[in-house]
Amino acid sequence: MGGQSCVLYGGAEFSRDTDLAVLPDPENLARLQSALDDLEAECIAVPPFEKRFLDMGLAVHFRCRRADALGMRVDVMAKMRGVEPFAALWDRRTTVDLDGESVDLLSLPDLVKAKKTQRDKDWLVLPRLVEASYFENRDAPTPPRVDFWLRELRTPELLVEAAASFARERTRVERDRPLLALAEAGREDEIRRALRDEEDRERDADRQYWKPLRAELERLRAARHARPPAS
Amino acid sequence: MVDIVELCGSEWADWYRLTPAERWKESAQLWQVYLSLGGTLDPEPDTQSPFFDAEEWRAVFADGRAKLRSVRRSGV
Repeated sequence: MGGQSCVLYGGAEFSRDTDLAVLPDPENLARLQSALDDLEAECIAVPPFEKRFLDMGLAVHFRCRRADALGMRVDVMAKMRGVEPFAALWDRRTTVDLDGESVDLLSLPDLVKAKKTQRDKDWLVLPRLVEASYFENRDAPTPPRVDFWLRELRTPELLVEAAASFARERTRVERDRPLLALAEAGREDEIRRALRDEEDRERDADRQYWKPLRAELERLRAARHARPPAS
Repeated sequence: MVDIVELCGSEWADWYRLTPAERWKESAQLWQVYLSLGGTLDPEPDTQSPFFDAEEWRAVFADGRAKLRSVRRSGV
């Protein structure tokens, strides 16, 4: 669901880890533990690998020690801000074939939603993800694609084009995304300002979402430091 | 219609035109070069991440080797 997914969808991130979204039920987590054991992965930070922390929305961080994956990091999450629970994400997933290996990814709309964080690097990749979809498919628009582009395009020139090409859909989506009215009028400078406002709101929402979770991480770190070292 | 090269430049236009499998292959080649030049899998400090803790990052990654003991190896 992270940088590797972005590469497959047409963004570009030089991601040094693999981020996995998982169903946090006991049976599945036992399977995941078995796979992590196979990779000789150890949990390298707080929180420990427990269902309750995944349910909270925290990520669990691992590093592999097996020779053919030495140093590779794996982050696991089960719940992300702004997207639906895992079951819905799974139903909408994209499956790609890589050299005969099936890889399941968050759907592009879900990935874009999950990337609306407080981090600059995510906001750099977001426009690229939607542009890639738009350029690949603008000659073959479908209702879901048009809806996605109108809701998520972050490139003023393409917003103007999409607003003109899909006027009926724009009217409907404009209720949720008022800057489409600017796109219809072709006011690119104002669109840029409105896009920055959208971004600021999302970053702020992400900071608020993480406040209690950061407090939980601090609590876990403090508890770990307070524990006497194992003899 | 907005021209892809005019808007994004030729490098991005070429990247967008690749299939997912082709992008994966290109990315893997980049990784080979990066690792052959001594690049590390350890992350840059991501100070904007809600998970980031400077002390923890230094302890785990600063010299490229884990110093923290395992928090837990199993238990799910």
